[in-house]
Amino acid sequence: MRRSPLISALLLLAAILSLAACAQMKALPNLPATHPEELSSGPVSCSECHEDQQKGTMKPFAAFNHSRIFVKNHRFYAATDDALCATCHKLSFCADCHTNKIEMKPSVKNGDRPDRMMPHRGDYITLHKIEGKLDPASCYRCHGRTNNERCVACHR
Amino acid sequence: MCIDFKRFCRLLPALLLAALPAAALADGSVDSTTILRIEEDNHAGFQSKTLAPLTEFLGLDADQLGDGRLSVHLYGWGRVSLADRYDPVDGGDSSVGGALNYGFLQYRFDHANARARAGRFFISEGIVNEQVDGGSFKTDLPYGFGVSAFGGATVHTVKILGADTDGKGDAIAGGRVNYRKGGLLELGFSGVYETDAPTVSSNNFLPGTFGSHRLIGGDIWLRPFQMVQVSGHTSYNTETKGIAEHSYLVQAFPVSKLTLAASYDEQRDRSFFYSSLLFADMLRNLNQNSKAIGGMATYSLTDNVDVTADYKNYKRDVGRAERFGGEVRGNFLKNTLRTGVDYHYLRASENFAVVPVDGASGSYHAARGYVMHDTKGYFASLDLIGYFFKTRIENRNNAWETVAGLGYHLTPDLSLSGDLSYGQNPQYNDELKGLVRLTYNVKFADKGDKK
Repeated sequence: MRRSPLISALLLLAAILSLAACAQMKALPNLPATHPEELSSGPVSCSECHEDQQKGTMKPFAAFNHSRIFVKNHRFYAATDDALCATCHKLSFCADCHTNKIEMKPSVKNGDRPDRMMPHRGDYITLHKIEGKLDPASCYRCHGRTNNERCVACHR
Repeated sequence: MCIDFKRFCRLLPALLLAALPAAALADGSVDSTTILRIEEDNHAGFQSKTLAPLTEFLGLDADQLGDGRLSVHLYGWGRVSLADRYDPVDGGDSSVGGALNYGFLQYRFDHANARARAGRFFISEGIVNEQVDGGSFKTDLPYGFGVSAFGGATVHTVKILGADTDGKGDAIAGGRVNYRKGGLLELGFSGVYETDAPTVSSNNFLPGTFGSHRLIGGDIWLRPFQMVQVSGHTSYNTETKGIAEHSYLVQAFPVSKLTLAASYDEQRDRSFFYSSLLFADMLRNLNQNSKAIGGMATYSLTDNVDVTADYKNYKRDVGRAERFGGEVRGNFLKNTLRTGVDYHYLRASENFAVVPVDGASGSYHAARGYVMHDTKGYFASLDLIGYFFKTRIENRNNAWETVAGLGYHLTPDLSLSGDLSYGQNPQYNDELKGLVRLTYNVKFADKGDKK
């Protein structure tokens, strides 16, 4: 089968562009694997020390200040910049809540850290009968397709 | 071939365990938390019994293996029940249980935030949130572009009773492409494709409420001015051919100490819950929509004290509700003393009540206060939380719990602590629980920190 000159030219162009792109990859910065300075426990404000734009995410450091609004909406940040999260947080920090099987409520495992935002503090068994009707999507995010072993004990 | 690949994917985390001796010689860390809980289960209508599960949470991170770019990451837990033979997670008559939450090899390239993973890991990319036994690759590309891809076997969970399946297909793949304009804009397009959902034999499920897990969607981050930032995503279910979710957050930073936020969330139940067998069973009417509009403001009174106020309005086809309240949080004595109080009120119509009958209400007050002190020698905490119902639930008008904890840093890496909690609620007349916790966190690297 004879390949048309146009396809050959396009393939050649794609190969040249790919090579050019690969050559530029080395110019793209890496985020550090770990934060270079030891951080104190508790919420941090990146902008206390950094005023400029974070090179790896191409976003201002101030966008990642851990305000209450940031903590409550951290899913938006984790879904786009998990590599930046990983410079300060071990994955096990996330796995206390986000995992396939949870052995105990995160607030029980971390009972010595009442300052951390944890789901289902107190008697949530009673509350979920109200909250589940009010906002089932909030249940679904964690329990819809995983981590629902305790749900199926009653919800059959 | 497919079965062999899936078997390989599932075995890989176990194989990684064999690499641990080598990992012990590398930079990295070990995190161990051992917890012995002692509880008296005195549930109304059931025989009283004592529970004493002993659980070990173990995390291992071995960095800079091989040429320095390879690392191994493991985290999981195991439990042995000392006083009974009931497995509360997987169910059934067993005194032992456990799970591997993640376990993977990661190769981190020198440039472009490129990384490859193999094993069991969690994926959070745009609208995609999945746990996978397989492989993934992610990298930045020139001119502000980026790409990530993953594929492998799904991580199955417990079977839904009566259906003999957890509702998941056996293989899954997906990814995200994105474009970033420095400091101004990020646009992403992501998707997930899971193989066909299993056929459900049960007749508990309404036709058309459950099917395969296939979504596509777009996400945005926009900061047109230093004072305004928009984040959010929209997902589309290719099986139901309908929008599943809109979820957006707008933040404004008018002055350095003040952050304002407005949120909009909308879920269309059939498309949003379509691939969850659990929800297909629970939600009998999946043609509802849910909308929530909220506002939040956080102001730093001083360097140590933050005040937050929030409001959210919920609208579902069955009724409306609103929640409002605020909280004050403070850090003192060089962050060793932390305290906070918060109060919220949910005003909800009778349709949201536990038993939605005339005169019932889903409204309740929630109040909480805590204080903790963490010194080089000891640490202590006290946490009080109470819910006060507008109409009685199970003949009680409140549910409350207090948790007191005390611990000692035996060494900088080793801590021993205990928590004691007591409460009363509609489930239990008296709920007394205690636990002993031994925590060992050690780093083998001489720089940096992760927590």
